[in-house]
Amino acid sequence: MATETEALVIGGGSTGCGIARDLALRGVDTTLVERGNLTHGTTGRMHGLLHSGGRYAVSDQESAAECIAESRVLREIASHCVEMTGGLFVQLPADDDEYFEEKLAGCRDCDIPAEVISGEEAREIEPYLTRDVERAIRVPDGAIDPFRLCVANAADAEEHGARIETHAEVTDVLVEDDQVKGVEIRHESGPGKRSHHEPGTTERIEADHVVNATGAWAGELGAMAGVDVEVRPSKGVMTVMNTRQVDTVVNRCRPKGDADIIVPHETACILGTTDVEVEDPDDYPEEQWEVDMMIDTLSELVPILGEARTIRSFWGVRPLYEPPDTGTTDPTDITRQFFLLDHADRDSLAGMTSIVGGKLTTYRLMAEQITDHVCEKLGVEGSCRTAEQPLPGSEDFSVLRDYMEEFGLRSPIGRRSTERLGSKADEVLKTDDPNPVVCTCEAVTRAELDHAIADAGTDLNATRIRTRASMGNCQGGFCAHRIAALLHPEYDEATTRTALDELYEERWKGQRHALWGEQLSQAMLNHALHATTMNRDRYPAASDDGIEYDRFDAGPPTPEAAADGGRRDDAHERADSREDDHGD
Amino acid sequence: MSDAPTHDADEFEPVDVFETTEMDLRPGADDCYKCSTCDTSCPVAEVDDEFPGPKFQGPEQWRLKRKEDHEIDDSITSCSNCMRCDNACPSSVPLSQMHNTARGEYVENQRFGREALSALADGNPREALDIVREGQDGLVERLRNRILANYHTSAWLASFMPSVANFVMNFGPARWAMAKTMGVTSEREFPEFADHTFREWWAARGGAQVENPDKRIAYFHGCYSNFNTPEVGKAMVRVYEEFGYEVLVPPQKCSGTPMFANGMLGDARRHAETNVKNLAAAIENGAEIVASCTSCSMALGQEYPELFDLDGIEDVAAHTYEGVEYLRLHEDLEGALGEASVEGSEFAYHAPCHARNQGLDTQAVELFSDLDGVAIEDVGDSCSGISGTYGWKEEKYDYSMEIGEEMFEHMEHAAGETGMTECPTCAMQMEHGTGYEIRHPLELLEEALVAGS
Ligand SMILES: Cc1cc2nc3c(=O)[nH]c(=O)nc-3n(C[C@H](O)[C@H](O)[C@H](O)COP(=O)(O)OP(=O)(O)OC[C@H]3O[C@@H](n4cnc5c(N)ncnc54)[C@H](O)[C@@H]3O)c2cc1C
Ligand code: SF4
Ligand code: SF4
Repeated sequence: MATETEALVIGGGSTGCGIARDLALRGVDTTLVERGNLTHGTTGRMHGLLHSGGRYAVSDQESAAECIAESRVLREIASHCVEMTGGLFVQLPADDDEYFEEKLAGCRDCDIPAEVISGEEAREIEPYLTRDVERAIRVPDGAIDPFRLCVANAADAEEHGARIETHAEVTDVLVEDDQVKGVEIRHESGPGKRSHHEPGTTERIEADHVVNATGAWAGELGAMAGVDVEVRPSKGVMTVMNTRQVDTVVNRCRPKGDADIIVPHETACILGTTDVEVEDPDDYPEEQWEVDMMIDTLSELVPILGEARTIRSFWGVRPLYEPPDTGTTDPTDITRQFFLLDHADRDSLAGMTSIVGGKLTTYRLMAEQITDHVCEKLGVEGSCRTAEQPLPGSEDFSVLRDYMEEFGLRSPIGRRSTERLGSKADEVLKTDDPNPVVCTCEAVTRAELDHAIADAGTDLNATRIRTRASMGNCQGGFCAHRIAALLHPEYDEATTRTALDELYEERWKGQRHALWGEQLSQAMLNHALHATTMNRDRYPAASDDGIEYDRFDAGPPTPEAAADGGRRDDAHERADSREDDHGD
Repeated sequence: MSDAPTHDADEFEPVDVFETTEMDLRPGADDCYKCSTCDTSCPVAEVDDEFPGPKFQGPEQWRLKRKEDHEIDDSITSCSNCMRCDNACPSSVPLSQMHNTARGEYVENQRFGREALSALADGNPREALDIVREGQDGLVERLRNRILANYHTSAWLASFMPSVANFVMNFGPARWAMAKTMGVTSEREFPEFADHTFREWWAARGGAQVENPDKRIAYFHGCYSNFNTPEVGKAMVRVYEEFGYEVLVPPQKCSGTPMFANGMLGDARRHAETNVKNLAAAIENGAEIVASCTSCSMALGQEYPELFDLDGIEDVAAHTYEGVEYLRLHEDLEGALGEASVEGSEFAYHAPCHARNQGLDTQAVELFSDLDGVAIEDVGDSCSGISGTYGWKEEKYDYSMEIGEEMFEHMEHAAGETGMTECPTCAMQMEHGTGYEIRHPLELLEEALVAGS
């Protein structure tokens, strides 16, 4: 059985979600499919910098100008996803004066507000900067939450009639006579909200036009359609610190280099990054030296990082694209521009467009251009409204509130929740039910989690990215089970348990690269709590063999049992009957 | 800022409107691994359901806040600063430092509020005005806290005419008015002022009676033994002189303990400046600093360097001891007591939380159990509940008594009918809850060791 749609967007990253929203707002019947949860790809594994454009002001001025323009737009339409931290390009004694001047001039050329401040002023803004700071350029960088951004885009698309299908992987692109007809997808569980333990199905979706927004995976999708898309995936590492050592984005002011930026993000700070080309975006080595280098090099800029607690590290792959025959060898030289590949023009394959390259900051602009293009193909009129229309949650967003009085929440908790929820805060937090804090590290209450679960089903990682629950210093040790417990009784024990395991495993993955100092103690404590206290490493209900009752002894003999040994036999009988059950 | 549109330029102006206690303790949150041990040891959390507990108050609140954030949750004022959480934490999270600093910021910012400022910046003067008005509602409470915290000043005023002060302070209607207008509980009797201060006595006796350049101590008497219990101060001097010490009594102000607990860090700092200057001079003079109050020794020895950055403050901290502690370290106190005896007396001893923090909670019982004629019994490790000014606040009085309940019960069960403790406010609470007379260990030492006492 096939379903039909006008436009089919593949990929639930910032690009895909942005396109789906734009199409839906213009009245196009749209379906978005994503193989994981939203932001499963690069969007969920990036730095969270809302570029002022300063970073590209010397090397790539076109990108820089786009960044500053788009960053202004996002501050308006996505205020609950953005924190305007401001940014600094910091010059240390070893850094070249000439480059500093070029950077400053470049910013001015691109209409990026930039001012030079002395080393002392820089240290007043960021007291943990090294004393060696010579001077700095101040630019309007910011931090953006990619998760909330994508979820808001997808939610608005849905609001306008789009179908958003996560955990649905495209397994084939259907081509007939040089024309893309649609795709075949495999649902991990059934269609709709993911539910663990539900068997998967496949579905054929026929579409008038297919948009390949799979970023670093665009080449694979291209191959399914029989065309070459030359993405050059390049990996970068990011290390998350437990607290914010800086509240401003801090960049080292020197030509491209590894480990030259610190982005304050919510409660944490993210250090980055590297740029190393990889073969396969799904399978590349994650190496400890990359993390070590991050901390060592950035300690030159902010010395306290050397002793600070690291909570996890993660890697992302840039979807860099290079037009054929450019011949660049160093990935850092590849442009950060994005490219729209019209396969009809390029490969004489109608009905499909790929979009590659670019960055999150300019996702809306990319989406606008793709949508213009798709609408032209579909013969749809209508102009883009995404630059003016606020995303859900962003309207009239104000954090000036009395949290205790309104929501019964302590002020840091109320403020964090309200910032995350934006204008949805009242709807979510005004509840008559008790509303305890479930994730204490990130101040996430039960009401906010329930709200996210209503949207995300049993996929607790999807709940996590909506709320930040389990993203703090205990990395789920103290809250993962409490979050999972909220699934019950709507979902049964086995579903809840599997959902918990998945969340906990995801948290563990990132911590493997932070196992020293305090995070090592934390990991040990978490392990003891989960494995020993909760017995989760040998949880009997989870084992396929069921419980081996005969491994237990009969307990102290009671007077009658001692006489005939009855109890022990009973135990054996129970074990036997279970075996029978398995035989069925 | 060059050619930027103005609204952008404005956004990047640093907001630096009033001076704050610029202390960034967020990195301290790195040490917390969320075990909640601190919460289980907090006496206030046990009785006050509204109080979120030390873990939230300390590492969580710090981690959740942003540097430019001036919004501190008001629950911080419910912490009594007993510092039991400090001791409980297995991971050395600087909890009390976090609480003290947050409290300081809370008080500092109550006046204007960051919200009022940002409302102004957003062009909503009306909203800003409302916020300021709301802030003023907190004014009375602040005033009350300030008076309690500045016990030093009221005590100093009262000491000019102690009998009138005692009368006025305990006079029913006046107390009622205070409770109504300032929220000082009328359940408690204000401590009586002695008819002379310790310093008056010291001056009258002509200062030190022993001179000894090799054994010198500088006595930090604090407010309470100066104004209310000069007998403790006198005992201290006599015992130390008995051991051949030259006692210096440098000019001094309040240690700051009550001010920390009420977020008056500005006041505390001014007092600390005087204290550090004079105590550092005494150290220069070859003296070690000795306090008879465990909260004073705690303040000088731990809280000072945590909260203030003053010349010589680390030195002062490193040279500070509690009265009995110092003698145990430097003299054969056990030996001396082994040969002494007093007339039969039985004590119910309570270790103040601040003594516990300094590892001094067992010293009195260890020391006196071998003293002939004395029976002494520890009444357990619960908190007395008064925690300085905490139990004086009308809204905290009931909690304070609930916390103290366990100690009262144990005191009743103990054989002794006299209480003993190092801390003057614990003494008030012990007396308030049981009606016992309360003695300081130094007084017993004096009785045992100083001839003619
Ligand atoms: C280390 C690093 C740091 C970065 N930092 C920044 C920054 O600070 N600021 C900034 O603006 N940009 C930054 N970027 C760039 C930015 O993250 C990316 O440009 C952007 O997220 C790309 O989004 P996307 O939607 O195009 O790709 P993705 O987010 O990768 O989305 C593609 C999606 O397609 C899905 N998909 C793949 N195959 C299939 C299939 N067969 N069926 C269904 N779905 C499929 C994937 O699961 C994925 O979710 C950074 C990138 C990296 C690597
Ligand atoms: S200082 Fe005492 S009252 Fe305050 S949080 Fe710690 S244990 Fe609780
Ligand atoms: S006892 Fe220490 S480590 Fe444990 S929760 Fe409290 S502050 Fe954190």
